[in-house]
Amino acid sequence: MAELICTGIAKSFGDRPVLVDLDLTVPTGTLTAILGASGSGKTTLLRVVMGFVPADGGIVRVGSEIVVDAGQSFVPPHRRGIGYVAQEGALFPHLTVAGNVAFGLPRSERRTAARIAEVLALVGLDRSYADRRPHELSGGEQRRVGLARALAPRPHIVLLDEPFSGLDPSLRTETREAVVRALAAEETTAVLVTHDQSEALSTGREVAVLRAGRLVQTASPEVLYRDPIDLDVARFVGEAVVLAGTARSRLVECALGTLPARGTAVDGPVHVLIRPEQIRFAAGHGEGVLAEVVGSSYHGPDTLVRLALPGGSETTIAARTFDQDVPAKGERVPLVVEGTVAVYAR
Amino acid sequence: MTRIPRGLAVACGVVAFLVLLPIGVTVVQALQGGFAAAGDAIRAPSSLTLLKNTLVIAVIAVPLAGAIGVAGAWFIERTRLPGRRVWAVLLVAPLTVPPFVTSYAWANLGNPLQGLVGAAGIVAFSYFPIVYLLVAVALRGMDPALEETAQSLGLGTGPIFFRVILPQLRPALLGGLLLVALDTFIEYDAFVALKVRTFSSDIYAQYQLGFSASGAAALSCFSLVISLLLLFGEARLRGNVNYTRVSQGARRIAPRYGLGKTTLPVLAGFVAIVAVSLGIPLGTLVKWLATSSGTALDSASANLHYLWPATLTSVTLGLSAALLALMFALPIAVLAIRYRGPRVTVLERSVYLSFALPDLVAAIALAYAASHLARFLYGSFGLLVFAEAILFLPFAVVALRATIGQIEPGLEESARSLGAGPLAAFMRVTAPLARPGLLAAIVLVFAFTLGDLATAQVLLPLNLYTLGTEFQASSSSVAFAAAAPFAAVLIGLALIAAWVLMTRFGEVREPAEE
Repeated sequence: MAELICTGIAKSFGDRPVLVDLDLTVPTGTLTAILGASGSGKTTLLRVVMGFVPADGGIVRVGSEIVVDAGQSFVPPHRRGIGYVAQEGALFPHLTVAGNVAFGLPRSERRTAARIAEVLALVGLDRSYADRRPHELSGGEQRRVGLARALAPRPHIVLLDEPFSGLDPSLRTETREAVVRALAAEETTAVLVTHDQSEALSTGREVAVLRAGRLVQTASPEVLYRDPIDLDVARFVGEAVVLAGTARSRLVECALGTLPARGTAVDGPVHVLIRPEQIRFAAGHGEGVLAEVVGSSYHGPDTLVRLALPGGSETTIAARTFDQDVPAKGERVPLVVEGTVAVYAR
Repeated sequence: MTRIPRGLAVACGVVAFLVLLPIGVTVVQALQGGFAAAGDAIRAPSSLTLLKNTLVIAVIAVPLAGAIGVAGAWFIERTRLPGRRVWAVLLVAPLTVPPFVTSYAWANLGNPLQGLVGAAGIVAFSYFPIVYLLVAVALRGMDPALEETAQSLGLGTGPIFFRVILPQLRPALLGGLLLVALDTFIEYDAFVALKVRTFSSDIYAQYQLGFSASGAAALSCFSLVISLLLLFGEARLRGNVNYTRVSQGARRIAPRYGLGKTTLPVLAGFVAIVAVSLGIPLGTLVKWLATSSGTALDSASANLHYLWPATLTSVTLGLSAALLALMFALPIAVLAIRYRGPRVTVLERSVYLSFALPDLVAAIALAYAASHLARFLYGSFGLLVFAEAILFLPFAVVALRATIGQIEPGLEESARSLGAGPLAAFMRVTAPLARPGLLAAIVLVFAFTLGDLATAQVLLPLNLYTLGTEFQASSSSVAFAAAAPFAAVLIGLALIAAWVLMTRFGEVREPAEE
């Protein structure tokens, strides 16, 4: 257990910059999720921290030990005390589950099954898995063994590269919970990279958004979702309704009425950020703004309803409803906005 | 681009230096006779004949070996041909049969085969297994989804083979053809009993007449230039193909095609190939052993007490050379697979230059180098081991590349993240996974060393004799009866080697039961 501090990390492949002056601090014993689209440099960041790729510049510190300085990786990967869970698990095909998990243990500990059983239990796998071969495991089990293997030598930090990609949704949730539980139980400092916002928001104590090689915002999941630093981040972390408006003394006037604004007061023309679940169908008559339903997508527990605002504005907005009775296409419904909204100067 | 670890770079540099050493010595020797003398040797009318002969042999042998190798691999790997496992062993076995034994066997069949046609035939039927092995490995690594896609686009079996499979086989096929072509230019053993004049046979003749180092060296420069052209021509044709499979879970095994009515003709073809490649040397051997009666037997029995010591020397030589070659080949293979780049390509290619000099010339150059640089090695068994290891290094590199190339780099990285250093990661992850390739490298170099005559004749210490040198010495006597026992042990060892090779490396895989 140690904190991870990266300062000024830079890396380019040829003349294409991949990481640009990147700062990241992961407090001891917490999990930070790094959220980025594909090609944003997520995997490269992990590989720099791991030492598989030399950085062009910057400092990486594990606890008090500097492992990369001015881009020079002077601590080789195997001496950094950093565990790594690769995308597909990368289990050694010639070893059993026990052999894989014991791989990083000192020779004396490899024979005693105690730690093996302990970490397998930690990731929610039964002792009976020990003698199986990697190809006899399901995708989710392979990921769990991959994590158990990384945790076994008690690393200071664990890096997880898209650990749940390619798993079906139910298995994904289950594996995700097992992984988060295991990391918390070991109080391991962890970095998880993903392109899936719901995964980032549900696993990280903090979520850092990586865009074109820069961390544009690092915040708790709630702050990131409610008060993203700009509209791009807002759209990236979730469905966003953005309307033009005018702000005056903490109130903002827009197509959905006059709404209370959050955060530092801005006056003048603004963009208003509203999350679809804030938009509700008004119960009483004469309340709210009328909008016409143009379509909807059903997700089971909730439905996302697309609506066109009156006044010929081209923007359609989305409202999320947890009601199973969804208004039909063409119907005109009154809308109200609940809670406060975020505003951005226009 | 990942930085190359210093230890690996140094190891590869040393290996490349050792491979290039005999070439350097030869070039210097060629020039020592003066440019004029070297020029005369090269311009001599006989040189042109030699070049023409060698080219004719290559032009016949290389495509023939390619066709047999590809067809054999495809039928064994991708069809429901009966007896696939047996055929697989039989198609590899010719590679390990010593070429000089094959040479005497073909010569024994009659005059027509002692010319260029016979020479090309021996090369094609002795070396097609190289193409077969490389293409079979490539076929196994191929993604069946590509063929399925081609089928969905309306292609039949034939067009799929030519438009989807063959293009993917190109790197393996070109690599195999390259080895066969290079070999043709330096082959001596296979032509030893024929009346064909090639560079190697002329160099050997010069050597026996009273050696003029500069003349032989000048002739070798032909093969050197041709080798360089072939090597870099192949590199261009091959391009920068990445063999490393980016795995997504378990690999599916490609389906096999039924042969239907063509089963019998295909089987007949296989029988014909095996009859020529194995039947001729084995049949001749049996004939020799059967006729070893009367006068011939006397000389045979006189020779027999050499059999055991010769076997011991040969096996010791083969195993030591194989292990040394493996040590040399490992860093090169790892470098070539894990760190791509122009400099790495040049380094890797330079290893194949050990095919650029006729065995004999390389052996003489090494003896010369040892006498100046490492006197303790001069005239020792160690120098012969070293020479054989360098000579057959390309085969070891090819075998290792094929298996190490299929290991995901992610596995080594995982090992590093678990606290294993570069060497530990190699020993605990890469080496166990590459075991078939390691074994194949050892077996190949062992078999080739056993079947190598020219190098042993030059570098073998005076008090020692191998199965090959004894065979050669005895075969010049009255009948082949005296030589037969040595050939029998050689072929026996060769067949064991082929069997080990196929069961461990070239295993014919069947689709798993669902």
